[in-house]
Amino acid sequence: MNESLKMVVVLAVIAMASAGILSVVYGTTSVIIEENAARALESSVFEVLPNVSRVEIIRRSADELGVDDPKEMREQEQRTTLIYQGIDSNEQVVGYAFVGEANGYGGVIRILVGVDEVTDEILNIKVLSHTETPGLGSRIEDESFRSRFIGKTVEDPIAINRDIDNISGATVSATAAADAVRQGFVNASAVYRGGE
Amino acid sequence: MRLFKDFVRGLWAENPTFRLLIGLCPTLAVTTSAINGMSMGLATAFVLLCSSALISLLKNVIPGKVRIPAYIIVIATFVTIVDLVMNAYMPDLHQVLGLFIPLIVVNCIVLGRAEAFASKNGVVSSAVDGLGMGLGFTWALTLLGSIREILGAGSIFGVALLPEGTTTLGIMALPPGAFITLGVLIAVMNMIAARQKKTS
Repeated sequence: MNESLKMVVVLAVIAMASAGILSVVYGTTSVIIEENAARALESSVFEVLPNVSRVEIIRRSADELGVDDPKEMREQEQRTTLIYQGIDSNEQVVGYAFVGEANGYGGVIRILVGVDEVTDEILNIKVLSHTETPGLGSRIEDESFRSRFIGKTVEDPIAINRDIDNISGATVSATAAADAVRQGFVNASAVYRGGE
Repeated sequence: MRLFKDFVRGLWAENPTFRLLIGLCPTLAVTTSAINGMSMGLATAFVLLCSSALISLLKNVIPGKVRIPAYIIVIATFVTIVDLVMNAYMPDLHQVLGLFIPLIVVNCIVLGRAEAFASKNGVVSSAVDGLGMGLGFTWALTLLGSIREILGAGSIFGVALLPEGTTTLGIMALPPGAFITLGVLIAVMNMIAARQKKTS
């Protein structure tokens, strides 16, 4: 066998063996990884919705989305916010939780928002992930900033310097956090209010 | 006897962190606590052991001109396995080490041992060399992490040593603390090595 052919064959065989092994490992671990992620998000839902004993995910069927094509439906689903329904020990729906996203100073900010079923007011918010500057933008995680959102409804502007006080030195991060909450709220309320 | 020599070389005389000063990026970045340092070390040790053994097995099959890409594929495969398994069974740890696990692929200790040792020696001695180097890296990272955790957070392996409310040296948990601790430790190691030389 000439040398260059041998190089190609050896590399191809190694790469294929590697791909084969990894697909097996991925197949067995990906299920557990997804379960872990879902459980982590669920436990966050308990933090933003008090007195909740059980969480259910609201899924919408193809009819509700108004599309027949499965591929288009998948894309729709990815764009829509996942909504969690918080249910208390008496099987009553007490509120909804959903994730809002916006681009901050250093990347995407993801915020989980909990809303009361009756008053439609924000109960609490939790920053799930962000890559803002430590000490400046990271202050969006602080209780003193998060509490500024409590009691807001979807009719409120939810905007920095209008009904939410700014964080000095972190305008971009604070604005993005407010955007994330507002966007998530508007999208989600259209789903859970519209479904009634 | 030769096998024993291959093993202890990584632990002391050619310790990757303290003697060779390679693989310093994860060393400095993840040693904020003892458990983080130890986990990173063990993950690297596993990759080193497996990749050194496999590369030694394949050394006569792989043509010289494509050996580096072939080694990298082997190493990347084991690293991805570690990454996925850790993500599935130790999600909390995975979140802390996160980015640094995939970076084991380009850790120069791993490729360095493949190139300098595994490609020239038998399977058993390559595996032993990989394990020795890996454990040498592990104890170095654990020591570094322990010191930084004691000074920076007043605890070790998460167990509090100081009463609640004691002021700790927060800087030790931050990047400058890694440089300071590593510098002091290397100075101590050099001193011990110099003494050993003198007496022998």
